[in-house]
Amino acid sequence: MKTIIVIREKDYRWVRHVFPDIHPLLLPICNKPYIEFLIDFSVLSGSREIRLASDGPLGEVEAYCENGSRWGVQTSYASIQGTDDLEVVLEKNRHFCSDGRSLVINGMVFINYDQKQEYKTVFASLPAGELLSCSGGSLMLTGVPENSGSISRSCPFSISSIDSVSLYYNLSIDILNDASTPYVLPGYNNEELCHIGRNVIIGKSAEIRKPVVIGDNVQIQGGAVVGPGAVIGSNVIIDRESSVIRSVVLAHTYIGEQLEVEDKIAAGNMLIEPESGASLAIEDPHLLTGIKKSGATVPFLRYLLHTLVALTIVVFQLIPFLLLFPVLKLQGKWKQRMQECFADMSGKTLKLSETAIETGGPISTIAAFLSLDRFFLLFRVLAGQLAVIGSRPVPATSENRDLLNRMPGYRAGVFSYAEAEDWPVEADDMAIVERFYAAQGKPLRDITLTMKALFNRIHDKSLP
Amino acid sequence: MIISEKIISNISVLTPEGSLDAATVPQLKNFTAKSEVTPTLVLNLSGVDFLDSSGLGAIVGMARNKRESGGDVVLACMNDKVRKVFEITQVARLFHIFDDLEAAAGYAEKQQKSL
Amino acid sequence: MNFRIDTTADPNVGVVTLSGRIDAGNSNELQNSFMSWVLETSLFVFDCTNLDFIDSSGLGAIVSCLRKALERKGDLKLAGLGSKVAMVFELTKAKKLFSIFPDAGSAVRSFENSEP
Repeated sequence: MKTIIVIREKDYRWVRHVFPDIHPLLLPICNKPYIEFLIDFSVLSGSREIRLASDGPLGEVEAYCENGSRWGVQTSYASIQGTDDLEVVLEKNRHFCSDGRSLVINGMVFINYDQKQEYKTVFASLPAGELLSCSGGSLMLTGVPENSGSISRSCPFSISSIDSVSLYYNLSIDILNDASTPYVLPGYNNEELCHIGRNVIIGKSAEIRKPVVIGDNVQIQGGAVVGPGAVIGSNVIIDRESSVIRSVVLAHTYIGEQLEVEDKIAAGNMLIEPESGASLAIEDPHLLTGIKKSGATVPFLRYLLHTLVALTIVVFQLIPFLLLFPVLKLQGKWKQRMQECFADMSGKTLKLSETAIETGGPISTIAAFLSLDRFFLLFRVLAGQLAVIGSRPVPATSENRDLLNRMPGYRAGVFSYAEAEDWPVEADDMAIVERFYAAQGKPLRDITLTMKALFNRIHDKSLP
Repeated sequence: MIISEKIISNISVLTPEGSLDAATVPQLKNFTAKSEVTPTLVLNLSGVDFLDSSGLGAIVGMARNKRESGGDVVLACMNDKVRKVFEITQVARLFHIFDDLEAAAGYAEKQQKSL
Repeated sequence: MNFRIDTTADPNVGVVTLSGRIDAGNSNELQNSFMSWVLETSLFVFDCTNLDFIDSSGLGAIVSCLRKALERKGDLKLAGLGSKVAMVFELTKAKKLFSIFPDAGSAVRSFENSEP
């Protein structure tokens, strides 16, 4: 038995919209990432190999699940197209599905199973074809049943779709309230309806009222009331005298003093009313804020190398710049405008000056030849704000925030990796090169790539 | 790099072996330019153990040429390392990728017929 | 923002229209204006129909206005809270301190009923 999980971007668009920082397959349901529920069920069904097929990015999921050895299974990953129907998806994974039976989980569905049940024999006697379906997707079996003698049609589990924030909220609360614990939830579980993670600090006179699920590294300050009905993610602080009731607080959230979170979802500085789907970004850090994930300090070696490279270029450009800049400025050929751009993946923004040197005349040609248009930007590298080589700065607009999620390792640079390569012919090609090098993260190679970019630009500009 | 060609289900299947990088890309380009390949072809990557940005560029460029004349390039049997490069650069979005050579050729044949 | 009080609906009730944002930039101004208003009346309605944003200092200002009105045996009622502003009032438990009405008209009328 094998399991293939087919999930398309259109199945989880709402998650991207509501929780832009969370990969939909890693969306925590009672502190357990969604994908783990699917893996648990696959294991109960007797699967030893699980394949994830998606038209969206799977890198984060792969980083989380690795090879699956944590669950005693082997996980693999495949890319499909959003327009592929299920038949084509199975064709694309023919090799994987070729031996024996496969369970196909299609869409963003939640499987209501019970960990105490045994599904291996059930699956062995179920016929091929669609088993269950709901608005969000379906469950299907391929291959011939093992005990063809006793074919049964009944499934001792059901599926439901998770296609809106209100369904997500209701599902979380339902699992929380289920005393029969059909799912394995993370944390210590000494008593019914109560799961508590590691390093949880509960202040004086704080109250924990079941049912609750609390993650790791959580601080609940004095006088706070958590529950009944609270899912608290990891790295959460609930400050003095606040209460969290019938609510879900996602990881890395700070809830200020004397607040009342009731029937809500809190995620970073976002407060969401699941019923209506209305969400509110709290801009006041005393109320609700995201807690910065630590550890993402800029690698010092990279900063050092980039600074050295930038300094070298500045030294070379300094004299030509001092000579040519006033002339170009007088001629009106030095066009500069300020633009707000994203600095890195976190969505932090920077005001950058974008310079264009109008062509025509030998002075413009020499200035372009020497890449003087980047002169000012090089100083931003010394300030640690820009990389000397990275991605083309993406203008900071709300539409582009989504784009950023598709550019793992994005760092705005003075030069772009795409400028170091000869082959890109269109903007999409450049994005490919940028992603390629951004993902590798080899600081030493950045030096050669910067030189290549400088050289390529000379080549570019020397054409009439 | 060794590149071999065979026909499965009336579709040319190219199998480059070794690493696909700046040094070997011209070889692949020459091969596709010279040989009489079908409008839609399958690129069998089972023998490619390393792929860099110019290798990606060659595959993207090859597909662009084929698509301009109504054909396509279908990819098959990439190993895990190569798949990761396709995934991280999101080039995977641009291609139909199969884990089985016959399935890829079968799909390519259907695509070619529907032209 | 300039805060103005309107007593045309009922001479005893001051209706204050809040619009845009109430934050650290103008919450003091609101409190100062309120100091002069309480000399004339102690019954207030804050019409929040056009209020898009409120932060903790804005909330603090409105709560202190309420306190001053209560000290003078009056009241401050809120009207027309948008969903986002309502969420902030709920989150901070400030909602419990106020009587809240769907629009300014009904808030003003509620004073008429309770007036002796």
